[in-house]
Amino acid sequence: MIKAIVKTELAIYFRNLNSIFLPLIFFFLILSVFPLILGTDKILLGKVMPGMIWVTVILTTLLSSNNFFRDDYKNGVIETYLTADTSIELVLFFRIIACWLFTCLPVIVFIPVISLLFEISFQNSVIILLTLILGTPILISIGIFGSALTLGLAKNNILTPVIIIPFYIPVLIFSASAIEAVSIGLPYTSQISILLSLLVLVLPIMPYLLKYTLELSINN
Amino acid sequence: MNEKLGDVLINNIEISVNSATCYKNNNIIFKGINILVKNREVLLITGPNGCGKTTLIQSICGVQNLESGYISLNQANIKHQECNYLDNILYIGHKNGLNDDLTVLENLKYLCVFDSSTDSRDTKKIRRSMKYFNISKYESYTVSQLSEGNKRRVALARLFLTKKKIWLLDEPLNNLDGDTTKALIKLFADHQDNQGLIILSSHSDLSKELNDVKYFKMENQSD
Repeated sequence: MIKAIVKTELAIYFRNLNSIFLPLIFFFLILSVFPLILGTDKILLGKVMPGMIWVTVILTTLLSSNNFFRDDYKNGVIETYLTADTSIELVLFFRIIACWLFTCLPVIVFIPVISLLFEISFQNSVIILLTLILGTPILISIGIFGSALTLGLAKNNILTPVIIIPFYIPVLIFSASAIEAVSIGLPYTSQISILLSLLVLVLPIMPYLLKYTLELSINN
Repeated sequence: MNEKLGDVLINNIEISVNSATCYKNNNIIFKGINILVKNREVLLITGPNGCGKTTLIQSICGVQNLESGYISLNQANIKHQECNYLDNILYIGHKNGLNDDLTVLENLKYLCVFDSSTDSRDTKKIRRSMKYFNISKYESYTVSQLSEGNKRRVALARLFLTKKKIWLLDEPLNNLDGDTTKALIKLFADHQDNQGLIILSSHSDLSKELNDVKYFKMENQSD
């Protein structure tokens, strides 16, 4: 069963290569806007870019998880989920993982390149990478949760981000504080372990939460 | 009802809708509905557009919550865990439940994941089901390339695959041509012979083609 689910998810993403490349292109475009606005002062850019990279990643995850369930709702797949006698939580879990793999991982892979471009120090770029690896799965799960929550409503394009961005804040606080700690030479293990524990908490709970939310959304 | 229903269901299925009332967005959809269906029977839900046929079928499959009343399978409320209701039903909705980006074969394999009585590795049987509904030649087409009628056929091919006893179908005859309708009705008759139970909504009269058809006529609610 797991094999069938994974195979299907891969097939869906590889058939829509857009869904892999567009987030990446979007990420680069937004990043290239910052030097245009802020000027090319290296010291300033070196200071703000770690934060800007995080903001851009948030925008990317928002856009890619915003309409996660829209087609499934339109095509009646959600009803199939809810009347299935097998573990839907497993399917939803793999869908979250697949969404992360194909929208966040490409961005994360390019972080070293971006660090070179903006002359971010090696230490800083390692911590950005680390916080992104731990943080983005949480952001994606929360984004997908928001998409499930607003499923039955018409015209929910802006509503979903409005609902879910407050839930991003814990992840952001600890990521930013880890990056800050590194740049002034303090230890950052506590922030990283909190991020890790958030991840371990959110990922297993999310499929169950999603199933419950989908039931509610169908029922409105 | 603590005994495992899987054993009971071989010969004796009884679904009852007990004084079910449903509201959606504060509008009444239906009120005080009582229905009793047993195995080997077909329940045909008819009525004008917008009278709540889809909502009634969704309530019977447990997706739609009721304001009051309950649905039971062999006297056990379907919302209770020990009822194992989902193990026994197959629901095919108005929307086909297919993924547009997958091919016909991939879709049917994927749908097998949601039905424990089928096996997604059994490609032979899936091919047979496609042959039965005459969609073999579209095997490697993605669903978005198919016509509405062919999409419907792909969705209905699940009926050929499943071993579940209770079928809940929302307007299964929509968009189907004459030959496919005949094939589908034959599948219904076989299911009845297998002690199965079918609940469907439709605008066409099936009493000539099938035995033991029970009618339930719904009316538009005026409030």
